[in-house]
Amino acid sequence: MKKSLLLLSLVAILGAGCSSTPLDAPGDPSASNYYGSDSAAATAEALGLEELRGNQLLSQRSVFFDFNKYDIRPEFQDLIGAHAQYLNNHEPARMIIKGNADYRGSHEYNLSLGQKRSVAVKEALNALGVNDSQIETISYGEEYANQECQADECGQDRRADITYEVE
Amino acid sequence: MIYRMHSLFVGILLLFSTSIYSLEVIEILGGKASEIPIAILPFEGFKNIGGQKAHQIISSDLNRSGLFRPLNTSGISNPPSSDININYTKWSAMDAQFIVVGKVESENPILGNIKITWSLIDVFKEKTVISMRYIGKKSQYRAIAHKVSDNVYEYLTGSKGVFHTKIAYVKKVNNKKYSLNVADFDGYNSRPILDTTQPIISPRWSPDGEKIAYVSFEKKKPVIYIQNLRTGKRTLLANFKGNNSAPAWSPDSKKLAIVLTYNKNSQIYMINADGSGIKQLMRSNAINTEPSWSPNGEDIYFSSNRGGSPQIYKINILNDEISRVTFEGKYNLSPSISYDGKLLLFLTNDQGKFKVAIQNLISNQVLKISEGPADESPIFAPNGHLVLFTYKDYGKTTKIGTVSINGLKRLPINVGNAIIQEPTWGPITN
Repeated sequence: MKKSLLLLSLVAILGAGCSSTPLDAPGDPSASNYYGSDSAAATAEALGLEELRGNQLLSQRSVFFDFNKYDIRPEFQDLIGAHAQYLNNHEPARMIIKGNADYRGSHEYNLSLGQKRSVAVKEALNALGVNDSQIETISYGEEYANQECQADECGQDRRADITYEVE
Repeated sequence: MIYRMHSLFVGILLLFSTSIYSLEVIEILGGKASEIPIAILPFEGFKNIGGQKAHQIISSDLNRSGLFRPLNTSGISNPPSSDININYTKWSAMDAQFIVVGKVESENPILGNIKITWSLIDVFKEKTVISMRYIGKKSQYRAIAHKVSDNVYEYLTGSKGVFHTKIAYVKKVNNKKYSLNVADFDGYNSRPILDTTQPIISPRWSPDGEKIAYVSFEKKKPVIYIQNLRTGKRTLLANFKGNNSAPAWSPDSKKLAIVLTYNKNSQIYMINADGSGIKQLMRSNAINTEPSWSPNGEDIYFSSNRGGSPQIYKINILNDEISRVTFEGKYNLSPSISYDGKLLLFLTNDQGKFKVAIQNLISNQVLKISEGPADESPIFAPNGHLVLFTYKDYGKTTKIGTVSINGLKRLPINVGNAIIQEPTWGPITN
């Protein structure tokens, strides 16, 4: 039974002729690569990926905060300005901002604090004309914080990370 | 020498006279509580029990409470195993106010049952104040020893002991391996009830003892589950837009206060334990989190930075009135209330060191009961006399331990080498 089915389908494929390849069979590798790279290229252009990767300011992705604070320090305005311009110029681009906190204090308060930080970055972008629909904010709180830092060293964890969906 | 008939009771506790050392909360907070010197003598018989012996378990329990000073009994030869022929002069010379004696026998070799017969003896009054007998499986040896600790504790302090209760905690092996575990209060008999690759925080044991609510990041963001401890089955309590966190059971275990963060401000909501009837408790343009109920169910304590730095507030859920509770220090978090409603337990930042503190809600007097530098997650034992918390030295791994509310005894709970955090304490059950 199995054998005859296999034979039947083989005949069907052969009968279909050499001009077409069945959709579920491995096709011409160069052909599928061609379509793949074409749509990727289109996406890359629409999103300005080259700019995103190459631009010195756009490649900076972390905004740092003071202990227990979520106001944006002036030195991060240029970075935020560059990302705002990028989002405004590339409407399909989607940003995810991930808020973090250092390990000190409670997990719950730090979850809320991380959220405040990611929203602070979002609002700074909003102020520069970026649409809410392009930005998602989430918080990891202290869950991925360095457990071994002391006092000032922990500043690395008090941050909001900018990521793009396409990456 | 006093000779009296043994009053033996199997399993259940029938002999409860008035306590001779009643605890006053204010006394404990205010001054140096005197620890009761007690000698727990090695129990006779049954040498083939591995691990800690009954007298060691009882000594360790009572020592943890900060209200007892168990005396070293290792050098005592031929300790008595019953209250007959007690040499009172010898024990009072040792400074023992009380002694515990006992013996372990095989009750039913076929079933593998053991019988533990023991007495608490008042050395000053030269009389036996408790005599009891427990029968159980050999595997219940530690549990029986903990019951003896509870009996001694309740007789001498007037409060129920917590030595036969359970705790739960989160074990973090690495950033991709977490588990929620349940264990005896002293860390023995631990077992995982959930293994996951994403962080777990804020487990809270329901007051009826049946369930644990917790926050899991397994949906790539925090959501709240309730897990039934008997069946192992869990249900999703809250998976609303944004972050869902900080579950807190109402005293009747029927409702929870939870925190939802859609946008920038964490807000406290109420929800029924079956996930129905969500409603917002208050609105504020600030962080509001870590809700915790008062035992009468009328107030919800919470932390908020509405005044700038985080402080503890409470809202009366009958009239929605909000008032600030902590005033000492610039950074106070993680409130919970003792079961008599008199004490507030919280985390305070004391000049860069995070310590566990207790505020007497009648006098507002504050006592810091731990040293820091990075203590967290304080939670009361169900009798309000002990606190479970996490501690870590700089550069070291987070561990759990207990501290007595008088601050006198801080002792680790050893449950392995991984990061141990976010503990919760189950209720007293019979």
